[in-house]
Amino acid sequence: MTDTATAPRTDTADPGAGPASGDDAGNGVRRTEDTRFLTGQGNYLGDIHRPDLRHVAILRSTQPHARIRSIDTTGAMVLPGVLAVFTGEELAASSGRFHHHLPLIPTLRQIQWSVMAVDKVIFVGEPIAAVVAENRYIAEDALELIAVEYEDLPPVVDPEAALEPGSPLVYDDWPDNIFLYIPGSHGDVDGAFASADGVLRERFVHHRVSGLPLEGHGALGEFDPARGRLTLHASTQSPHMLRTTICEVTGLSEAQVRVIAPDMGGGFGVKNHFMREEALVALIAMRVHYPVVWQQDRFEHLAAGIHSREQIHEAEVAYRADGRVLGLRVRIVADVGSPEIYMMGCAPSVVTTGVLPNTYDLPNYAFELQCVVTNKCPIGGYRGFGQPQAIFTIERLMDMLADRLGMDPVEVRRVNLIADDALPYTTVTGAVLDTGSFNEQLDELLEAVDYRALKEQVAAERAEGRLVGLGIAQMVEPTAPNLHALAGQYGGFEMCMLTMQPDGRVTVHVGTKSQGQGHETIYAGLAAGVLGVAPGDVEVHDGDTAVLPYGMGTWGSRSAVMGGGAVVKAAEQVRDKMIAIAAAMLGAEPGAVELAEGMFRVGEAAVPVAQIASAAYLHTFLLPPGMDPGLSVVVGYDPGNTSPFPDEQGKLNVAATYATAAAAAVVEVSPNDGTVTVRDLTLVHDCGRVIDQFILDGQIRGAIAQAVGATFYEELRYDDGGQPLTTTLLDYTVPGFGDVPETRIIHRETPSALIGGFRGAGEGAIIVTPPALAAAVGDALRETGVTINQANLGPQHLRRMLREQGVSVDPLAAAG
Amino acid sequence: MKPGRFEYVAARSVAEAVDALGAAEAGSVLAGGQSLVPLLNLRLARPDVIVDVNRIPELEAAGRGNGAARFGALYRQRWLESLSVPAESAPLLAEAAALIGHVPIRNRGTIGGSLAHADPASELPAALVALEGEVTVEGPAGARRIPASELFVGPLTTSIEPGELLTAVEVPAHVEGDGAAFVEFARRHGDFAVAGVAVALHRDAGGACTRARAAGCGLGPTPVDLSGAVAGLVGQSGLDDDRLRELAAAVAAGVDPPDDVHGSSDYRRELAQVLLVRGLRTAWARAERGR
Repeated sequence: MTDTATAPRTDTADPGAGPASGDDAGNGVRRTEDTRFLTGQGNYLGDIHRPDLRHVAILRSTQPHARIRSIDTTGAMVLPGVLAVFTGEELAASSGRFHHHLPLIPTLRQIQWSVMAVDKVIFVGEPIAAVVAENRYIAEDALELIAVEYEDLPPVVDPEAALEPGSPLVYDDWPDNIFLYIPGSHGDVDGAFASADGVLRERFVHHRVSGLPLEGHGALGEFDPARGRLTLHASTQSPHMLRTTICEVTGLSEAQVRVIAPDMGGGFGVKNHFMREEALVALIAMRVHYPVVWQQDRFEHLAAGIHSREQIHEAEVAYRADGRVLGLRVRIVADVGSPEIYMMGCAPSVVTTGVLPNTYDLPNYAFELQCVVTNKCPIGGYRGFGQPQAIFTIERLMDMLADRLGMDPVEVRRVNLIADDALPYTTVTGAVLDTGSFNEQLDELLEAVDYRALKEQVAAERAEGRLVGLGIAQMVEPTAPNLHALAGQYGGFEMCMLTMQPDGRVTVHVGTKSQGQGHETIYAGLAAGVLGVAPGDVEVHDGDTAVLPYGMGTWGSRSAVMGGGAVVKAAEQVRDKMIAIAAAMLGAEPGAVELAEGMFRVGEAAVPVAQIASAAYLHTFLLPPGMDPGLSVVVGYDPGNTSPFPDEQGKLNVAATYATAAAAAVVEVSPNDGTVTVRDLTLVHDCGRVIDQFILDGQIRGAIAQAVGATFYEELRYDDGGQPLTTTLLDYTVPGFGDVPETRIIHRETPSALIGGFRGAGEGAIIVTPPALAAAVGDALRETGVTINQANLGPQHLRRMLREQGVSVDPLAAAG
Repeated sequence: MKPGRFEYVAARSVAEAVDALGAAEAGSVLAGGQSLVPLLNLRLARPDVIVDVNRIPELEAAGRGNGAARFGALYRQRWLESLSVPAESAPLLAEAAALIGHVPIRNRGTIGGSLAHADPASELPAALVALEGEVTVEGPAGARRIPASELFVGPLTTSIEPGELLTAVEVPAHVEGDGAAFVEFARRHGDFAVAGVAVALHRDAGGACTRARAAGCGLGPTPVDLSGAVAGLVGQSGLDDDRLRELAAAVAAGVDPPDDVHGSSDYRRELAQVLLVRGLRTAWARAERGR
């Protein structure tokens, strides 16, 4: 059972504030990896050189939907410097195919696909052929010499039009464009609507965006034909899981494939998918017997990488006159683009359906999820993974209900929040919330911003004609989930190999993969805290499948919980063996041995850690009789409190634990150009025990930057014919430092019952910030009649909404 | 994202550059490279010869004479925004240049490159139109001058012939009573403007407007001459609100802005009105004598 005691909070209004003081492991340590990152000594994929390295460039479809009548590669093959040219058809004939590993879901269309298109393309950017050449310049020259004859087919672009009878079909042999259909109904939804005082209906549009790591995808493959072994260096969040997929496509065994993920310039979820290109590099390396590299360029990233989030929600809320929500119905149309991506692009939408009830006691809930294929880039994961859409919709609905009933948004939430003393609370979709205190968290937020006074101030400014608004939002987030239900394999565990070396220093290998999150710092601190050594004595390694049996990578706010838990568990096992050795050396019972500051003590007698370490390897005669030499363990860690699949009622607890956050925003809208100034953004954030507040604050601020980006700056767009319009960073605009508001972060620490008390961090701020901003914008525009029912609040959108309400620009106004 | 093959020629004189361009099938001039190089990498520009003009010192000159401010084509945008000749003789160009990209871009980017590239969203072409400036181009047949009104033909298209090199830019030199302003709306610091407006007007000693010109960027396929909309200011001694409203309405009715990911046509039309009034007010105040 969870200890829900709340530790004293820490307030970090000062962005330069250092790590929290105290005895938490890792505190006081700035990021150890930063020395090499900031001095240009990182080792990224692009830093890996081989004297005979060859470069792969990929010919990509220019058509959204077309049959490939013919491909003529002869011009490319004779270009000097070209080593080989491969077509989709050739490789498909001699390699395995990808699939989604979910044969048990009857409403999911079972599909298989190859590394490149074979006879048909279904989105602009889909790989068709690959050239291997001495350098990327020649390889791209050769692409221009490949002649492809297309027979264009009508494109499917709009997901709702794709559902209309008579719509063109992405797959000829499907009866419609529905890839996955999941209906769900919990409680007595019809009864709730029948007994309601009123029903609120709204439609929400969630636009297409993408995570944008500085470094794109990429892979470098090396094949040793004598041993039949493949090494694939890949910029991936999940090297072991990638290995499993690479084996499926190449036909090699897991013992023959080594995946190495070097230093990474970000991931954000897009690198948690197993790209066709990664497998393509492996297949080419096996065929040309040269090391080959492909690095995704920015066009490839934006047109043919991983997109996310595009959903339309039709929501209905049955409510009582006092604000109590009796029932919720949501119909979700999710555009998954091309479904030919593993892990499955529907997965975030499934999460959307699961988390829609959010922090509310909402026993009657029905949903209908239609994942629709279109002739667009595959949809997949991006930080937040389906949750930003859900929390935006439910939090907007609460605000709209408050408006309709003339209540304060806080009061409507109070009526519906899960009671603080109800925990653990099983939500209507089966989530077992082990945390919460949602009322207490809300209190803390309201107190921090002085909500009553702020609300009056905002109202006073609005009375003067300024478009100023205040909004709040709250969320609960499943963290460290298992993947059985969404990927059909992998589960939800982590592994760690920890070795106390003969000199007393420590080597840690983890199955998570840092993409910039500072794992070397936090894991070293955790291991050092258990083993009584200095954090600087711990070397942390990740991203090498040759060392650790398996690992599940870094995504889903899981690394502190699962990786951190595995590190602590491994360190404790090694420590316990060292205590046994120390007890023997000191002639005491193990229970009498104490470890502090690098010394094992029994009363006045003491043995240093390093001496125990050397005994374990170099002076084994000192070991207790019968004890095996060495101080090294490989542990697996699975908290074991998740279910792999939904029960017969469709309920599923997928997360090892839950994290929470609440946000308040004050904004001002410029009526003449539609820009929004975020005047204040305050976040209360609870990820359980904080390991390193400096790193955590960086995670939160990064997530806020992305939340601001998706809300005000970013959208991936297509024209009506299926051509992508946002294929460079001139057109896909992400906010710069100057565009991201300063944020006050207040940490609550409600420990979980898991090892270390961690709950997981990294995604909460990207989930809770957009609905708070939307609420504030909605409040600012309250008197204009504008309803904020879309996630894109970019200036031209706000101007359109205002224009539709008859609010024209006033060129003479001093502001704007 | 690597360029296709091309021949590279580092010209040491205008004559050498013109010769090299004349010999090319589809030659491109490399000045600051801030637009050309991305287009090369995207393979949207496919020149067979690139003529680098960065080693031609006379193209870097600037000066004032005969009532004109003259800038060599290679005059860097950073110099435009920060040196005294443009500040005193062509303040509108200085203000426009400061809005281009970021400092590292302006350190390389040139006045001639920006005008020859003719991006309809960029600042300097609109400023040149507002100022009724002109450019000098040199080709196999010698030099000729092209007024701003005849320079811009379409998006990324000018009336400069293949084989010709833009060598100099001239605008009427700033005199007392001139007032100019460049205002724009961009999403982020350093972005291309969604829309922008350049205003250049003159007020006589009595404060009456004797010349009023305006041009917009981001509002059409070329820099858009908005002077017709503001012509009514001539003879006026004040900017009253009703007149400003009329001018804004005239601009709104007179432009047909593009519709793209950065802004709908309607949105840009709204911005044009707001920017025009802001630009007029600023330019009007700057034209006040004895300021």
